[in-house]
Amino acid sequence: MKSRAIFTILILLLSSAARSQEKYLIDWDYKGMTFQDFVNRSESELHVKFFYSGEWTRDLILGSYAGKRYMNEILDTLFSGASVYWYNAGPGNIMLTKDFAIKPLTEPRNIKKNYVPGMDLSTGSHPSASGSNLVADIGNRSDAGKPGTATISGYVFNQETREALAGVTIYVPGLSTGTNTNAYGFYKLNLPKGSSTVHFSFVGMKEKTIDLNVFGSGELNMEMKSVLVPLKEAIIRAGKDITIQRLETGIEKINMATFRLMPTSMGESDIIKSVLLVPGVSSVGEGSAGFNVRGGSADQNLILLYGAPMYNSSHFFGFFSAVNSDIIKDATLYKGGIPARYGGRLSSVLDIVPRDGNRKEFSGNAGISPVTTHFVLEGPIKKDTIYYLITGRTTYSNWILGLLDDPSLNKSRAAFHDLNVRVAYDMDRKNKFDFSAYYSDDSFKLNSDSTYKYLNNIVSMRWRHYFSSHFFSAISVDNSYYRLTMLSNRVPQEAFELKHRINSTGARADFNWFPGRNEINFGTDITRYDVLPGNYMPASDSSIVIPRTIERQRAIEAALYFEDKFKVTDNLSVVAGGRFASFFAMGPQTVYEYNPGYSMSSASVTDTLLFGRMSNYKSYSGPELRLSANLKLSRNSSLRINYNHTRQYLHLLSNTASISPTDTWKLCDYNLRPQSGEQFSAGFYTIANKNKIELSAEVYFRKIRNMADFKGGTELLMNEYIERDVVNVSGKSYGLELLVKKPQGRTRWSISYTFSRALIRSTGTFADDIINGGTWFPANFDRPHDFIGTFNYLHSRRVSVSANYTFSSGRPVSYPVSSYKIGDIVVTGFSERNQYRLPYYSRLDLSIIIRGDLKLKKIAHPNWIFSIYNVTGRDNVYSVFFKNVNNSVRSYYLSVFNMAIPTLSFNFDF
Amino acid sequence: MRSFNKNILVLLLLLSTGCTTEFFPETGDNREQLVVEGIITNQEMSNRIRLSRSVPVGSPVIQNPVTGALVTITDERGEITTLAEKVHGSYSTDSLTFRGRVGGKYSLKILLEGVEYKTDFIEMKPVPQIGALYYEKVVIATSDNPAEAKEGCKIYLDSFDPSGECRYFRWEYDETWEYVIPYPVVNRVCWISDRSGEVLVKNTEPYSQAMVTKFPLIYINNKTDKLKVKYSMLVKQYSINSSEYDFWEKIRKISQNVGGLYDKTPVAVPGNIRCVTNPSETVNGYFSVSSVAMKRIFVDEKFSGQPTFYSYCATDTVYGSLPAEGLNTLYWVIEDYANEVPSWWVTTEYRECGDCTSEGTKVRPPFWDDDVRKKQ
Repeated sequence: MKSRAIFTILILLLSSAARSQEKYLIDWDYKGMTFQDFVNRSESELHVKFFYSGEWTRDLILGSYAGKRYMNEILDTLFSGASVYWYNAGPGNIMLTKDFAIKPLTEPRNIKKNYVPGMDLSTGSHPSASGSNLVADIGNRSDAGKPGTATISGYVFNQETREALAGVTIYVPGLSTGTNTNAYGFYKLNLPKGSSTVHFSFVGMKEKTIDLNVFGSGELNMEMKSVLVPLKEAIIRAGKDITIQRLETGIEKINMATFRLMPTSMGESDIIKSVLLVPGVSSVGEGSAGFNVRGGSADQNLILLYGAPMYNSSHFFGFFSAVNSDIIKDATLYKGGIPARYGGRLSSVLDIVPRDGNRKEFSGNAGISPVTTHFVLEGPIKKDTIYYLITGRTTYSNWILGLLDDPSLNKSRAAFHDLNVRVAYDMDRKNKFDFSAYYSDDSFKLNSDSTYKYLNNIVSMRWRHYFSSHFFSAISVDNSYYRLTMLSNRVPQEAFELKHRINSTGARADFNWFPGRNEINFGTDITRYDVLPGNYMPASDSSIVIPRTIERQRAIEAALYFEDKFKVTDNLSVVAGGRFASFFAMGPQTVYEYNPGYSMSSASVTDTLLFGRMSNYKSYSGPELRLSANLKLSRNSSLRINYNHTRQYLHLLSNTASISPTDTWKLCDYNLRPQSGEQFSAGFYTIANKNKIELSAEVYFRKIRNMADFKGGTELLMNEYIERDVVNVSGKSYGLELLVKKPQGRTRWSISYTFSRALIRSTGTFADDIINGGTWFPANFDRPHDFIGTFNYLHSRRVSVSANYTFSSGRPVSYPVSSYKIGDIVVTGFSERNQYRLPYYSRLDLSIIIRGDLKLKKIAHPNWIFSIYNVTGRDNVYSVFFKNVNNSVRSYYLSVFNMAIPTLSFNFDF
Repeated sequence: MRSFNKNILVLLLLLSTGCTTEFFPETGDNREQLVVEGIITNQEMSNRIRLSRSVPVGSPVIQNPVTGALVTITDERGEITTLAEKVHGSYSTDSLTFRGRVGGKYSLKILLEGVEYKTDFIEMKPVPQIGALYYEKVVIATSDNPAEAKEGCKIYLDSFDPSGECRYFRWEYDETWEYVIPYPVVNRVCWISDRSGEVLVKNTEPYSQAMVTKFPLIYINNKTDKLKVKYSMLVKQYSINSSEYDFWEKIRKISQNVGGLYDKTPVAVPGNIRCVTNPSETVNGYFSVSSVAMKRIFVDEKFSGQPTFYSYCATDTVYGSLPAEGLNTLYWVIEDYANEVPSWWVTTEYRECGDCTSEGTKVRPPFWDDDVRKKQ
């Protein structure tokens, strides 16, 4: 066997290997042999196997032969000076390492002897169960005693699945320094030469502690073992240092292990619902699609799945997330400090990182909840090389609807499905490929004569290439497609089908380079958009509907970005970068020019311009600056400031408070200008109580220009002249976000309070384009006070209890101020927009997870999740409406869930 | 798209426990605005323009009439007609001296306390005849026992303008139904009339022909007694222009926003009346000019599952002699057994149980037997 590239430490092997002291006698003449030949000979004659990478030993030639010698002596001689170390991992398995050595620890390490200041290893309530720490020598031993610092770098993997782990915290308690792994699982750490203890921690993974003897720079790769999700996970201390180490403000990592413990709504784990628990994120109401980040509208969030944008992130009009939580490895919400590699949306980026699938063995999971059944299948096609992950989800609501007695309901249909497939291929150490596909559809048939369908497809391919341990690239192409179809055949003569679709194809190249104290990210991306704003077609032979298509929009968005993260001093790190994005609207297109002295309307058209195929009829471009600085104030606290500029070249046309299922996407064009926004934020982060409690406070101020609001009563579907109904608005928002969190231990909790305002103002000069007299007024999602508490208690390994509590101010609404009659029709007249508020919102959710048993060998591991949504049964008001009852306009609150909703779901892993 | 919100609400209710609760908003903003409404038609009848002021939300929407205005109509030939205030706030033309002409253009002018309001000239467009008026039974609930099935009724309209001139339609209807009190009382059979309280408009621009097919005018469910005996509806069809269509469509969006999941941006509904003296003053309402076509439909089929409204009526039984005081003012006899020994009466304290004129009229509408006459 040509053993290649085993360059990772296996802690299990280590503990058993400490006792293996076999010696192998070499009795053949090896003079002048290459190391490769020597290995071949040894493997054929002795019961040994070598694990190493060919490049480390390529130039090594064995020296003169002076009679029989033990192999260990030969290897020691051969490797000295080559920074290669060997280690007998027991029975006959000889592992080679580059730049560091592995030594079994035969007696507890005397910490006092360390060069680094003394530290208390027993800070955690759960002392390391594996006994002794792992020890590694890094660098060339001959450099011992030389002062200075060394750079340690490497990858961190999941031991079971071999997936790279992004966001692992690497922390050196003795020095109060640390870092995180990047998206490739790569990290880089500067350490003083000498002894240091390093912790690797990641939620859901068993924490690893390694004692390093640093002689010089070198590579240290680490495998981490996941704990059985979800219960064992709870004993792991993790993530505690992320808050101190990150450079940008406003970044929230949603970890799946934690996420899985959260109470569900109607039995479905929902990533968007978890996002709503992040301070600074609000929504118009429960069950509404979309979320609002720091005063931004819902179309300003870039939701990335497989690196491609998702244009509709929900099923069932917003009740469930369109992303099956089974595929998610983790998700990161950037609400400020958006890295330069992301662009195209103003307010936030939700990057959903999918799981790769199990590289080592077949496994799976299936479950049933009141709304869906779902499954996961994963495993290798070729072990450690090609592996797949397939997940699927479907509702069975059609079946339930069919059982109902109500004639109008049992003819209705409501269903959704989604399917994810991912195949990854690790060609070799330097080249990795993956292919992902996502399909989801929603279909509703209401009262048997109108059908609504939503289709969401994403296909993405990526090639990751590792030029060296300090230089990576990822090249990807993706396509995202969203289609909305409405079909009505109530009257055959008027039967129609209305279609809207957006199709974007993107290609991007990202580079990651780690020279010296820098981490440089640069790259480019280009996206081609093809939007069909609306297509209205007769849907039966007898239909007299005139086919009508609103001219398709085509555009290209291209961007270049560059970003450098560098440590100015040990205490000050800076991220400086930017993005330059350009948008080219392409013909064929008919555009109208309007007299700037009047509000845009059919009367103020001054010219009609026709642009031919592929001609660029309008372009927009501009730089987007991204700056952050992190100042470490002490061992436990840091201060960060951040400035962000973002631009957005597409709008979601909506004249409802929340995203409605009939909202459509529209690209910027001749008259519709891009949205742009700036955000200033600052944050203070500290950890207290022996690193158990994290505290953070962030403030932000944002300005948004060119948001599109619409004149009331405008029909946005099939509207050819959207620009005539647009009311240009500017946004202004600010807020303070406070968070206290205990993310570890048997009992974990977090409490956050956010004070924020989101205001908008119309900027038009003509009467038709002015809302509320041109003054600042609260946006639909302005909720000044927001309090969120989460709690998780691990009772035993089999039982865990979680709770969430949310309290927030009611959202603004408009009330009518007068009513009058026209004939017998009662009409209400509204005054200023959003001058009143709904009552406050308060909701408590609980869940209990019970695992069947924890026997490792059992074929299937069942678990039960019992959740109660809205435990207190509070009648949270979703919206108001006004109705004429007996000649008097009465006001009503509408609430969606006014009682506690218990659900039980069942899952089993196999 | 019209019923989308409502349908989602239905689905939502399936999923959840959604409900509505009445509340009383305190707005403190009670502006009284002038409301003008009225129509000039080509019918040989008095045309009325009503002036009123809006009322605060929550208080009953009564016509809050505006009196003492000078209301005039000017046509394109410069002929001025002054309307007379016959009822408070209601200004009408004389049916003998004024009648709208198809093709004529009319403008409304109001002088009120020195403030002048007016409209542009609006052309009276021709309107086609109503093509067909028909109804369909709707099964509300099925049952193995046909007597327990519940049925409602939907009335539809078809219309067609071969000339294609009338692209925007508006309809109004007057309903009349006969009802019978199930007791042998004097005023037993009556008729009730009502007017359409909903905006009924249709835009045929998306179609290749000015054709309206199966436009739903009304849905009569089984919670009223409209279908118990006989029902009739008179539909008036108007031809309107696109700006009037926009006006009614906005009114429809406001008045028929049932409170779905998707809060619509509040809609301001500017009418076609503007204040000349003070251009920033808001005037609500619309001055319509249109020719009219009318058609009537009768429904006297049997609908099953009709409700009983009189189960609460019998409140007392009187034996011996009937105390005369208060009869037919405080209580009414609904069953009379005066000839029995001892004599006894079943009485009620609800007037509507003993006298149908409390709700309707005893006067048989002149058109009531038109359908029967036609058949003969």
